[in-house]
Amino acid sequence: MAVAMEFYLLLSAAVFCIGLFGILVRSNALMFLMSVELMLNAANINLVAFSLAHGNLTGQVFALFLIGLAAAEVAVGIGIILVLNRNFDNIDVTDAVSMRW
Amino acid sequence: MATIATLPEWAALAPALTFAAAAFLLLLADAVSPEEGNPVALAGISLSGALVSLGFTVWYVVEGTGQPREGDPSDAGAIELFDATLVVDGMSLFFSAIIASVVVLVVLASYDYLQDHPYQAEYYSLVLLAATGMTMVTAANSFVTAFIAIELVSLPSYALVSSLKHNRGSVEAGLKYFLIGALSSAIFAYGISLVYVTTGSLQFDAVTSVVEGGELGGIFGLGVLMILGGIAFKIAAVPFHFWAPEAYEGAPAPISAFISSASKAAGFVLAFRVFVDVFTWEFVEPTIDWVVAIQILAIVTMTVANFAALKQEKVKRMLAYSSVGHAGYVLIALAGLTAGADHAFVLGSGMAHLLVYGFMNTGAFLYVALAEYWGVGRRIEDYNGLGAQAPFASATMTVFLFSLAGLPIGGGFVSKYYLLLASIEGEVALLAIALIVNSVVSLFYYTRVLWAIWAENPAADLEIEQYPTGLYAALALAALATVLLLPAFGPVVDLANTAAEMLV
Repeated sequence: MAVAMEFYLLLSAAVFCIGLFGILVRSNALMFLMSVELMLNAANINLVAFSLAHGNLTGQVFALFLIGLAAAEVAVGIGIILVLNRNFDNIDVTDAVSMRW
Repeated sequence: MATIATLPEWAALAPALTFAAAAFLLLLADAVSPEEGNPVALAGISLSGALVSLGFTVWYVVEGTGQPREGDPSDAGAIELFDATLVVDGMSLFFSAIIASVVVLVVLASYDYLQDHPYQAEYYSLVLLAATGMTMVTAANSFVTAFIAIELVSLPSYALVSSLKHNRGSVEAGLKYFLIGALSSAIFAYGISLVYVTTGSLQFDAVTSVVEGGELGGIFGLGVLMILGGIAFKIAAVPFHFWAPEAYEGAPAPISAFISSASKAAGFVLAFRVFVDVFTWEFVEPTIDWVVAIQILAIVTMTVANFAALKQEKVKRMLAYSSVGHAGYVLIALAGLTAGADHAFVLGSGMAHLLVYGFMNTGAFLYVALAEYWGVGRRIEDYNGLGAQAPFASATMTVFLFSLAGLPIGGGFVSKYYLLLASIEGEVALLAIALIVNSVVSLFYYTRVLWAIWAENPAADLEIEQYPTGLYAALALAALATVLLLPAFGPVVDLANTAAEMLV
């Protein structure tokens, strides 16, 4: 039998919040990237689940695009983290504070 | 008209396609001769790409592509492509023109700024790819295309900000820009998914028709708020502005100019389309009253940014806060859309201000680029006596800063006056007061820089030997446009109002 649609929403909200929590408390740049990935995948859960509910493919297609974009974002992010490591000798995001806020 | 009629429909996207083609041509040129690295050729390709794109845009505007013909209803004429996921209309052409002009200035300035930079082809092609994304954002008519285009703007921007790989400031700026950008695009994506959950479609017109159908509930409201958050990041509005001073200060100065002018314009066009066209206020208001949300956002953005700018010691950082403040001014174009207002006028004022802002803000950042080229320091004191050494460049800087402050020396005066009229039109007294007070405050910090440039004595070791042609040409063009927009503001605002009328 089908799962009620509310549960998909709850699941995606939970995944989104886990990602947000990770961003707020982790200072390791790689952990940060993974947390962002979780948040994007929370959006994917919604899109795919409700694509089924609404009976159109728009959500699934957009989910594919989101997956691709997430990969592109990670590629750029890793590049920046790499130069961060070369310049600051670690990847702690709280270390790079030569400019004040 | 005949010439346009013979062109296929996809040719309406020519401004964006030209940018993409130029970017790939650059990569090809770099692949053919990676070692030699001919800076003149690379800058030439990018400059001609930007000029051709600007030419297409101006041509389309003059010929009336995507705009209502004589006697048509005001919302007719837009060219819809790919199942209406892209649309070319007055607004998209207006903003393409802003973006292409900024790219022309930035490329001209980069030629001198990038001397001895090892990755010039990559730099230029990233600029052009980001410009492609921005031009696509102006034409986006679906959340899918909007999100992809926004990412096409963001990803090259992150790389460009951190392109000085051995400069700690640049890398730090890139990191902070990337972290906050990735977070906000995740929030934006989640907001889009929530809108899909409640409406079942992502194409703007389809979402609109569901929105007009009736009550949508809290999940939809949350989605709208998250989309607002994602857009507020792109336009650097408080409280999503934290990246802006960092990214602008650490980035190479032409890139600061590019991001603060063109990227902001792209964010705004999306904001205008999404909030005016899709989440129509009359229907969304019972769920979430976004006009009030944006009114608060506008006032807080103006005030926080201008008072923060007062305290800055570094010129670039001060300009960064000033650009955040200008995002607050332009937000009036959305915040003034109350029930009784003339929507086309309010929206058109914001668009016209963005055009003027594109020239004056880019120019101000390019003057900073010139100062960095000369090896002058970053603080305001370091600019002491530059006026005597480089009178022409400093005169253009005077025009930019006074125009930014809203003195009647450039187009900034009239465009701010129209924003004031717009806030009165919307009958939001607090917005009008905030605009006036903040403009007065901004005059203080702009004057501080100009005082240092013109009135203070230079440091003993200040010696300027070179007067780079590209940077000077960019400054002269930007100053010319800023000054000319003062008498020529009438046609511009008419154009903006016509474009806005198609939307509302």
